[in-house]
Amino acid sequence: MSALPLPEQDGGGRYPGFRTLDQGPHWDAVTRRTVQRRLDPPRRVGFFDDHELATCRALVDRLLAQDGEPRIQVEVMIGQRLAAEETDGWHYDDMPIDAEAWRRSMAGLDDDARLIANADFAEATVAQQRAVLGAVQDLRMSPWHAMPATHIWGLWTRYAATAFYAHPWAWDEIGFSGPAYPRGYKNIGIGKREPFEVADTRADEDPVGA
Amino acid sequence: MAGVAFDAGPFWDPDADWVSDEAGSHTLYWTDPRVISGSSPVPLGSNNSGRGVGGSMVHFAGYAPRFHPSDFRTASVDGVGADWPLDYAELRPYYERIEAELPVAGEHWPWGDPHGYPHRPHPVGGNGEVMQRGGLAAGIDVRVGPVAIPNGRFGHRPHCIYRGFCLQGCKVNAKASPLITHLPDALAHGAEVRADSMVTRIGYDERTGLATGVHYVRDGVERFQRAALVAIAGYSIETPRLLLNSTSPRFPDGLLNDHDLVGRYVMVQGAPQTAGRFSEEIRMWKAPPPEVSTEQFYETDPSKPYQRGFSVQTVSPLPITWAEHVAAQGHWGADLRRYMSDYPHWAVLGSLCEFLPLPGNRVTLASMTDRFGMPVADFHYDQCDNDRQLLAAAQEVMERILEGAGATETMTIQRFAHLVGGARMGATERDGVVDRDGRSFAVRNLMISDGSILPTQGSANPALTIMALAARQAERLLHP
Repeated sequence: MSALPLPEQDGGGRYPGFRTLDQGPHWDAVTRRTVQRRLDPPRRVGFFDDHELATCRALVDRLLAQDGEPRIQVEVMIGQRLAAEETDGWHYDDMPIDAEAWRRSMAGLDDDARLIANADFAEATVAQQRAVLGAVQDLRMSPWHAMPATHIWGLWTRYAATAFYAHPWAWDEIGFSGPAYPRGYKNIGIGKREPFEVADTRADEDPVGA
Repeated sequence: MAGVAFDAGPFWDPDADWVSDEAGSHTLYWTDPRVISGSSPVPLGSNNSGRGVGGSMVHFAGYAPRFHPSDFRTASVDGVGADWPLDYAELRPYYERIEAELPVAGEHWPWGDPHGYPHRPHPVGGNGEVMQRGGLAAGIDVRVGPVAIPNGRFGHRPHCIYRGFCLQGCKVNAKASPLITHLPDALAHGAEVRADSMVTRIGYDERTGLATGVHYVRDGVERFQRAALVAIAGYSIETPRLLLNSTSPRFPDGLLNDHDLVGRYVMVQGAPQTAGRFSEEIRMWKAPPPEVSTEQFYETDPSKPYQRGFSVQTVSPLPITWAEHVAAQGHWGADLRRYMSDYPHWAVLGSLCEFLPLPGNRVTLASMTDRFGMPVADFHYDQCDNDRQLLAAAQEVMERILEGAGATETMTIQRFAHLVGGARMGATERDGVVDRDGRSFAVRNLMISDGSILPTQGSANPALTIMALAARQAERLLHP
């Protein structure tokens, strides 16, 4: 079993027993291989050196509230992506290319952490890391280490969310059924479920009011 | 006469190359470097740029509405935008033909030029039901379709299985794209498709004033293909980039750029996306994202301070795109995870707002070069006041629909959809790069056959109109 640890008050355990990977035998072989690769332990990260990798890990763990094991190795997926130059196909004219922006922002996080924690970002406490990140988000369009804060924030969250929500363990906690070829769906519509889908046990838990 | 089509990307085999997975579909998009700039920069890549044989329709949502007759005369009628050098009636037979060839399924369409569709509407999923329910409650007329997915028997095309991965390439081969609708016929009649071939320059002969062919790179080797006629179909970013890169003594500022029109008047539609929260489970990812839409607000409403309008459609983002929507509200950490765990309870609508064509919204060449040594495109975008008023009006309508359906909360993000313009057609060489038949004014054996020739964009998804214009161009070539 590999459920990600997510406290109940943060939305954990809403779909008890739901496991997308159980549907693997119903997926086409190409898709199955693509999803399976995300589960395998990474052999080589590329792009980041060990220190940057630790910084990136701390960053994405805070952005995604990954505070325990098992966890999705988002920083490895990002490093592999940057090594392969797999960008989104655009960058802002006031930003360096993605790889350079990642590299510079890892150093920037260390600079900020040393100011408030007298430690590198990865060595700071979780609360200090959150404080550093909260300050970046609050800067909005103002520059952060010579890059518009909102653009570096967008870069981090885009890469982090793309890696995290590509992983079947993340699908389990949001009730998403994952790949659907060649099986498809037979029960579409409000309140309708496939036999393998699991109902939300806390449907009234509106996150907006939480 | 022999024809060769060049594509920078691969010749797709949907069964072997595509996956039923969001992140795994990265290769479908144009991800070579591009710079975005301006006061309202527009992200490219997965949102609006395809790569490979079949083009952007490989990953388009599948909506295939027509433009309205009013779209062709916005300068005369509404005092904004531009008049087209052809009118709706001239395009109608090609709309009908393409709707039959894709084919398109949907309810009878009451807006614009009212018309029916060759295939009956598809059943709708949770998101579509929300829009139907909300439209009824809010007094807004909505319809199912029109989507380019057959509903019933159509040759060898399998039926849609309602799996919701239209934007990731239809592995089922139910959703139409030229890869499966028109190219098989072309290949059977002797056409050649040269895939993995990046065209970098159009050849031009100073002596004859004609295009001579295309320079392209395949397997790292530069090559040249002679041609009697060249038709460019690189779309709104790559077509201007290719022309601007094709300089010569006769065209020092880029091929066909005598009047500084190449790369200008590029348009995107403002596409605010409003999500609504329901205590019921919507499970919007089940069923194709394009299901239900309204064009009730498409045209100028004299009681409003703005010109032209917008459409509203269901959009149904998959988890990664939905996480971007949630993160764009500023949520991160535990907050983000909590929102995401609520995914089955949300329905999402998107608008397409008719942003006006502005000369400053343009593609130029950046100083950065790509792996072919070719300067990359810089895409600059600003919004005008009319654009911003449409965004606000569209959001208000989407909130009315979702609240009418019983949403307890709504949240909206700003985004953009589609690309057209950049090499507009016009009545004269001072109004356009090409004429009504797609033929360039400056080089008579050079045509442009893609979305870059559209002078305005309406608030319809552009795919059907781009195809109809190409079909009309082909007819005019055969029967001038």
